[in-house]
Amino acid sequence: MLSGCSYNSEISGEMTAKSNKKKDVYIITKSTTSAFFQSVYSGANAASSAYNMNLIFEGPENEEDYEAQNEMILEAAKNGCEAIILSAADYHASTEIVNKVAKEGIDVIIIDSDIDSDLVKCRIGTDNYNAGCMAGEALLQGSGGTLNVGIVNFDENTANGQEREWGFRDTMEKNARVLSLETINVRSTVDDAKEGTKQLLAIHPEINAIVTFNEWTSLGVGYAIQELGLKDAVQVVAFDSNLVSVGMQETGYVDALVVQNPYAMGYLGVETAYKLLNGYILDNENIDTSTMIVTRETMYTEESQKMLFVFE
Amino acid sequence: MKKIQDVTVQGSRQMDEYLTKLMEIRSDVVAVTSYDQNGNLLSCWSNGQRLKDYYLDNLSYMEDIREDDGQEPAFSISLPHVESLFVDYYPWVVTVSQLMENAEGQTVQVAIDIRFNKISEYVDGIGIGQHGYCYIVNEHSDIVYHPQQQLIYSGLKTEENESSKEGTYMKSDVLYTVQSLSNCDWKIVGVSHVDEIITNKTEWMSSLMIGLLVIVLVITLLLGQILSGIFSRPIQQLAEAMREFEDNTGNFSFQPIVGISEIKSLTDSFDHMVGRIQELMEQVRQEEISLRKTELKALQAQINPHFLYNTLDAIAWLCEEGRNKDAVEMVNALARLFRISISKGHELIPIEKEMQHAQSYLQIQKFRYKNQFTYHFDVDEECLGYYCNKITLQPIIENAIYHGLDRMVDEGYIEIGIHQKENEIIFTVSDNGVGMTKEQCDEILHKEKGERSGVSMKNVGIGIKNVSDRIQIYFGSEYGISIESELDEGTCVTIRMPKVTENGYEERKTKKGENCSGSIDGGNYVVGVFI
Repeated sequence: MLSGCSYNSEISGEMTAKSNKKKDVYIITKSTTSAFFQSVYSGANAASSAYNMNLIFEGPENEEDYEAQNEMILEAAKNGCEAIILSAADYHASTEIVNKVAKEGIDVIIIDSDIDSDLVKCRIGTDNYNAGCMAGEALLQGSGGTLNVGIVNFDENTANGQEREWGFRDTMEKNARVLSLETINVRSTVDDAKEGTKQLLAIHPEINAIVTFNEWTSLGVGYAIQELGLKDAVQVVAFDSNLVSVGMQETGYVDALVVQNPYAMGYLGVETAYKLLNGYILDNENIDTSTMIVTRETMYTEESQKMLFVFE
Repeated sequence: MKKIQDVTVQGSRQMDEYLTKLMEIRSDVVAVTSYDQNGNLLSCWSNGQRLKDYYLDNLSYMEDIREDDGQEPAFSISLPHVESLFVDYYPWVVTVSQLMENAEGQTVQVAIDIRFNKISEYVDGIGIGQHGYCYIVNEHSDIVYHPQQQLIYSGLKTEENESSKEGTYMKSDVLYTVQSLSNCDWKIVGVSHVDEIITNKTEWMSSLMIGLLVIVLVITLLLGQILSGIFSRPIQQLAEAMREFEDNTGNFSFQPIVGISEIKSLTDSFDHMVGRIQELMEQVRQEEISLRKTELKALQAQINPHFLYNTLDAIAWLCEEGRNKDAVEMVNALARLFRISISKGHELIPIEKEMQHAQSYLQIQKFRYKNQFTYHFDVDEECLGYYCNKITLQPIIENAIYHGLDRMVDEGYIEIGIHQKENEIIFTVSDNGVGMTKEQCDEILHKEKGERSGVSMKNVGIGIKNVSDRIQIYFGSEYGISIESELDEGTCVTIRMPKVTENGYEERKTKKGENCSGSIDGGNYVVGVFI
């Protein structure tokens, strides 16, 4: 878990005092309300105070709203920002605009969710394919029998969700215990995910395992299971931690959580922006933040506590 | 905890009441729980949180709690953990536990969960230098609280300190200070960046020093300016005034300099000195001038007696011989000679008079020397109106006769010329006498005053020197006498003086008169001697 992330504490001291004028850095995320992005912000804030940067947080109301994101990117460029830290809602739709502002000299750093652009300076986030694989393995370990798996994924155009699904499918398809894999794509809201899950279970009643790939869909799946009373019948592997999803895990509606490290994404995003703006050479253009599986049994271990619960 | 122990002993009703109130008042206490010896939850007080029906794990219960040693109550303090007892409520807490006896005499474990961010507020407030901070570790060197707890939890930061002993440790450029807390097993570790402590301080110090230096310099300069304004400026002015006085002693007038009392007394002294020196100088000059005048007049007086008795001898001899006509002529010439040489005491007379004076003299001498020489005047008539010093030509002619012609075998010849050249009048007296060497010519003009005392007719050039002095006193050193002479060929004496009209003469006289008022009666003295 500590791998690849312990290199920065010693440079912070010497770097900090140098820049006198605060530089504007925009953090444009898919959502501003989810616990995941709140954690990103808190990491970013910690870094901004260490590196003396001025952060502006923005994000659309809906996680699919790439148009609003594009406008925010253009607005940020117009306001004379020097770096943009982006978690893209859509893998393709923002490419043109990101390339445009990158050519204007703004450093673009991607966290969490990628876009199709060569002009991005650095990508920081979960190894999504690997996270998908981990979700698959958690599901396989969770039960001994055969599995009919339902996948509740969010927007098809969002890169991280797709990568996770590929990783998951690759893991599952190799295993003989897996009988079927059904995917439903929903909008990334709790209600849509809940309805989608119910729909999926109605069409495919044989499903005894569900996997889902972000915070909102996790809650939606959890609520659906809760409402349908399928706590024991369906095994659920969900993503990200949230007070509610942690509660669901404790109460058994969710069996395993794939927990990412959004705090590290926010922190490293701002740190990378600082390095780029001050002419340091990046060690790595792709920074992988740690991911771990938390099950009911392990959720109160010291390490899991640290990952699951935001430290106030 | 003591209070809780008291109420625990008192019984469940008071305890319930007390703890409910405590929970309301103390927002930092998340929950108070009690357990039996098997770890079963007996009771729980919280500030309105719903207890879970079923909990996976109770992190607030500590299995290996310390036994009371009978004297002091032993607390056990847990590592920070998440409160795991309540529905949808997971604050980070630290549990403080103690074994107690309740009213029924059973041993129960009472645990207080204290909200962690209260502790963090204390610790976060501690800063060491710009980036230094404090963190808390337990006896196993596990981090209890760190200001950047989330960074550590996220694996973005690690603390490398493993030493659990008290003291101060250096690692690379970071200084760790470990201090144990007195009433529990926690230790506080202070982390400070050495370069920051030292460089910041040295930078600060050096900038302070430079700042101080600059301030001191500025103050010194200002003070210097002020002091020099008080002391050296007046002194400079005084020095300047002294230099000026040195260059131009006569016409210097001193403006008193304003300043402090020392300067004032200096100034006053200088002022006084200037006045005194000028006074003395004036006095010296007056004395010098009057001395010169007196000497001149005396010299004039000295010339005459020799000549007078020689001439009178000659007249007496003429009378004896019965050459009355010649004697009358001689007496007339002599009378004219004296009239002109007195000239009512004037120093300057018209050139015409001077010429008559020379003619009278030559007439007498020619008679005395029995026509051993002839003479001739070559005069520019325009010059006759100008003025010249009286008795200018006569001493030259006298010299020419006595020293040039006297010893000659052949007949002597004297040519006297009076001409004008631009603004000057040129008198020339040339003879065909024995002449002089160049050394003799120089000697005539540079005779010292003192040598004049033994006046005798044999001394060459006394009169000439006298004429030269007088011309130079009156008209300046650019005028005067020059002598050209060659042995056995003759001598030519040239006298140069400016054209002086009657008006110019009057001016000159008044100007001279200012300086030599004391010598006006010099002429009368001369007259007194003759007559």
